Formats: sequence, structure tokens, C-alpha cells
Amino acid sequence: MAGASMKKADILVSLIIVPICLYVFYESGNWPKQALIGAPTLIPWGVASCLLVAAGVQFVRALTGRALTLEEPLTGSSRRRVLFAALLTGGYAAFVAYVGFLVTTFLYLVFFGLAAGERRWGRLIAFAVAVPIAIYLIFSTTLNVPLPPGLFR
Amino acid sequence: MVDLALLLKGFGTVLSGYNFIALILGSFMGIIVGAIPGLTATMGIALLVPFTFGMSPITGIVMLLGIYTGGIYGGGIASILIKTPGTPAAVATTFDGYPMAQKGLAGKAIGIATVASGIGGTFTALCLTFFAPILANFALRFSAPEYFALAVFGLSVVVTLAGRSPLKGLISGGLGLLIAMVGLDPMGGFPRFTFGRIELTGGFSFVPMLIGLFALSEGFRQMETILTAPRVKTVLKDIIPKFRELTACTVTFVRSCIIGLIVGITPAIGAETSSLISYAEAKRTSKHPEKFGTGILEGVAAPQCAENASTGGDMLPMLTLGIPGDAATAVLMGALTIHNLQPGPLLFRDHQELVHQIFGGMILANFMFVILGLFFARFFARVINIDRRYLVPLIFIACMVGAYSINNVMYDLVTCVCFGFIGYLMMRYDYPVSPMVLAQILGAMMESNFRRSLVMSSGDPLILVTRPIALTILILAVFATVTAIRRQRRTFQAQASMETPT
Repeated sequence: MAGASMKKADILVSLIIVPICLYVFYESGNWPKQALIGAPTLIPWGVASCLLVAAGVQFVRALTGRALTLEEPLTGSSRRRVLFAALLTGGYAAFVAYVGFLVTTFLYLVFFGLAAGERRWGRLIAFAVAVPIAIYLIFSTTLNVPLPPGLFR
Repeated sequence: MVDLALLLKGFGTVLSGYNFIALILGSFMGIIVGAIPGLTATMGIALLVPFTFGMSPITGIVMLLGIYTGGIYGGGIASILIKTPGTPAAVATTFDGYPMAQKGLAGKAIGIATVASGIGGTFTALCLTFFAPILANFALRFSAPEYFALAVFGLSVVVTLAGRSPLKGLISGGLGLLIAMVGLDPMGGFPRFTFGRIELTGGFSFVPMLIGLFALSEGFRQMETILTAPRVKTVLKDIIPKFRELTACTVTFVRSCIIGLIVGITPAIGAETSSLISYAEAKRTSKHPEKFGTGILEGVAAPQCAENASTGGDMLPMLTLGIPGDAATAVLMGALTIHNLQPGPLLFRDHQELVHQIFGGMILANFMFVILGLFFARFFARVINIDRRYLVPLIFIACMVGAYSINNVMYDLVTCVCFGFIGYLMMRYDYPVSPMVLAQILGAMMESNFRRSLVMSSGDPLILVTRPIALTILILAVFATVTAIRRQRRTFQAQASMETPT
């Protein structure tokens, strides 16, 4: 698998850029154009045009087999670990404000440790308990920086 | 000119109380972050910015300077011990550092790397101290057209010089420019690309985005190899270099200092490039080029000295003009703005004392990592073995707590997580992240000054090329782009030839 092409990724990125640029043209077309605010559409249009050209070039390069190769393709368990980390982190961001920092962080660290292959429960639990408490003490108590609130702060 | 009395006072401030503790802590953490493969100085700064919120500006800045300089140096430790660069800048250190370790000279290699980094860093910090006020004084004459030209100068090099593909660098930079436009129009005050969301009227929060792009993304990256992290067991001895070993490297030090400074000042390229160029030059000018790659002191001293010599060069345009030299200084710039300090010539006019404290901090930070590096070398060597199953989730939590604590709003946390995953995907598919971040800083500067110029000239764009300083900078932008592309090409060629053993 080493040296797999980035063709699909390059095509996808090119295709994502097109609607973004079209939206830039669409929305900036509705902006006010008074002389006193110095041509507000000029730079957005210039940037969007450059991006469209770059996306077009990349699209053609990918289709004609000139996409760069991936140094290390992502496969199997590595991909699952990254996806799990992404979902877990997204979940943390979604729930921490409701559940509270201490509890959410504890659960996050336990699940993260399990996903990372840690099976020594005692060590994992101790870590998951110590980290949120330490962060709470450093931020909230010492530095006076508030942490996310929630039911079980 | 630099005010020596203020500089001495600055040294005194940095060496007193909390500031000194912050410097030690920053340098210590910087070396640790640098020594762990995959974690970079940029990431270290991004991660630790939130810890500086509760500190006074100078305490926080000194800590971040310690992380910056220590992080750049620390990359060499892993290069020497496990042939895996701790930071991208330390690639060239593997060429001779690892062969030295294989010969049982790991301690000697770490010792010379530490001193070489210290010499390079101190030289460049002194250059920063003496040249920055002159440049800032000159920059006080700048008006909107000149700042527009400066932003173009920065952008022109940024987008063409990233990663393996300039096209991907261009796309990354272009997206960064579009992201910079989100929020209220800088002159008209109407909302742009906010989709009616009130949270977006101020644009994307810069520091949470930085933390996401540079630190959280690296956490995702670390998840890929979390079970296959390198292990090392090395006995270190003879760490303190002998005087004759240092004098034998004098020419290498001088050359590497100059290379590092020049490369550092050039926007968008920094320690990664300077270390490779310096190694290639040391080999080219050596009487015994065939010995390079077999484990010789000059082969370690040249890249290490140059990579730290680029730190002051990178800081120079950031502090004086508000143009970051590389990703790490972009994050430092974000940290300064959090402390209500806007880098640029006005910083030198309005905060003279603080600027001299920064100079003092920069110089002392270089001494600090040398002292810590030499005396705690055995500890830092063990840090490489840290269990990733605990380190990675710690990074994630630190990122998210840091992102939240900037404005205490959940929106920043979501921004950090989203940009973290975007940054990971970009790294994975070779879209460099740095142009996106630098384009955001420079994009805002370019747009607002471009439009101010048009207002100044009643809509005549010729104002941008009829003012001598602006025109000179624009010509320099073209020149710098061309030379930088050629230099980058040479660096890649040098890298390719060094990685292919003959």
C-alpha cells in the first residue's frame, strides 16, 4: 500500500473548493459598494478566482495521474483509532457544557485510554481521575481561568 | 537604536521572581515537547498559550519564548538517539547525530548539539535586539500602501513555499484568506460569510483555531502510531563538550549563524530549511566531506546551530512589522495579541520597556535551554519513551481546555475541534497548515490596507506602485518569491541526496 495516490483526496478537495468560491461570488455580489469603504468585493473575488484556478489545475492533475503519493497510507486499526478519537472528541465538545468538566473529562480519558490499547485499569482510572483534578486546580484555582460549567462540575 | 539601559533593566525583570520561574518552566517544557517525536515547538506554544492567560504579559511571553527556543533545540535529542527528528527542523541532525549515537557517542552528540543551538540562538537573539528597533523605527513611516505591500510580500512567499506541492500551499493559503474574511467587514461593518450566525460576526477565534490546527491535529496524527512509538535505552556520557571540540567547530558556528539568521528573516521558511542548508554548506566546504554522515561533530553542530539561529530571524519581522516569519512565530503573535500587544512598529514606540524585556527574555531563553539541556540530558533522553497512551489524551484535553478558556464560550471549543480535524486531514493529504494560518494574519492586513489605500487615493490603484517604499517592497516580493523557490528546490535536492546513501 505504500505510495498510494492522493488522487481521490485531491479530486474531492477540488470539488469542495468550487461551491465555496461560487458562494463567495454570490454573497459578495450583495455587499454595499460605496467608494468610502474601498471596493470590498475586489479581494474576495480575486482570492476566489485564484482558488478556482488552483482547484481546476489540481483536478486536472489528479485525473491525469499526476497526484502526489501518500507517504504513509492510513489503514485498518489506525484509521479506526483516529475516527474513534474524532468522534470521542466531538462528543466531549458537545457534552462538556451540560455534564460538566470533571465528569466528562474522566469519561473521555477512560474511553480514550481504552481506544489507545491501555488495559491496565488501575493505572487508567488513576490517570483519568488525576488529570481533570489537576487541570481544575491549575486553571480554576491557581490561574483563575474558568473551565466549562455543567451539572457535575 | 537599542536602549542599553532598558535592555539591562529588561534582563533584571526577566531574571526576577515569577518571570525567571516561567523562563525555566518554559524552556524545560519546550525541550520536552521538542524531544518527543511528532510534537513541535509550534504545537508546544499553541498548547501552552492558555496557561499564560493568568500571568502578566511579560511572564507569559518569557514562558512562550522559552518553549519556542527550547522546542527548536529539543528536536535534536530524538534525532540523535532514535534517528527520528523530534521536530521537522531536526531532520538534518539525524544525518550525523544518529551515527554518533551508534558509535556510543550519544552524550557527546547531545552536548555539541546543545552548545551549537545555544550559540546560534544567542547570536540571532542579539541580532534581533540590535536590528529590530532600527527596522521598527523605519517602519513608522509606513502607511496603508506600504503595509499592503508588506502583506503581499509575506503572502507571496507563504503560498508558494509550503510542503511538497506549491499548488497545495496555494490552496491552503487561499482558504486561509477566505477564512480571514469571515466576520464584520473591516471598513463597512456589514457581516460577511457569517450565515446569520452571531458567533461568526467576530470571525473565527484565532487562538482556538491555532490550537486546533497545530496541536489537536497532531494529536489525531499521533493516534495513528500510538502503539508503535519508538523506545530507546541509551547510556549518555561525556555530555559537556571539550573546549578543543568547540574551537574545531568555530567556522561551522559562524557560517551556520549567518545562514540561520538570513533564512529566518525570509518569510515562511525557518528552522527546517536553515538546518538543511547549513548541513549541506558544512559538507560542501569541508576538507573531509566524505566523513559527513558517518558521525562527526560538525555534522551535528551545523544544523543545530542554524535551526536555533533562525529563531531570532523569524521573530524580527513578526515583532517589527507584524509579519510572522513562520508558523511558530504566527502562534507567538496570536499569544501577544491575547495579552493586548499588537506586534508592529507601534509596539516599539508605545511599549519600549516591554520590548526590551522581550529581547532580554529571548537572549536568556537561549542560555536557559543550554543549561537545562546539558544538566538534564539524561532526563530528556528518557522523555522520548513517554507512554503515548497517556500523552495523547493529555494533549487533547489540554487543547480543548485551552481553547475554551480564552473567551469562556463553547463556540471556541467547537472551533478548536473542527479545525483540529481539518488540520489533521490537511496534514494527512499533504496540504500544509502553515500557509492557511499565515494567510489569515496577512490576509486581514492585506485587505484592510488595500482598501485604505484605495480610499486614500479616491479609488486610484496606482497609489500602490507610485510610493517608493511600497514599490520597493513589491519588487522585493517578486524577487524573494523567485529566490525562495529556487532555494527551496535546492534544499529538497540536498535533502534527497542526503537521504540516499552513496
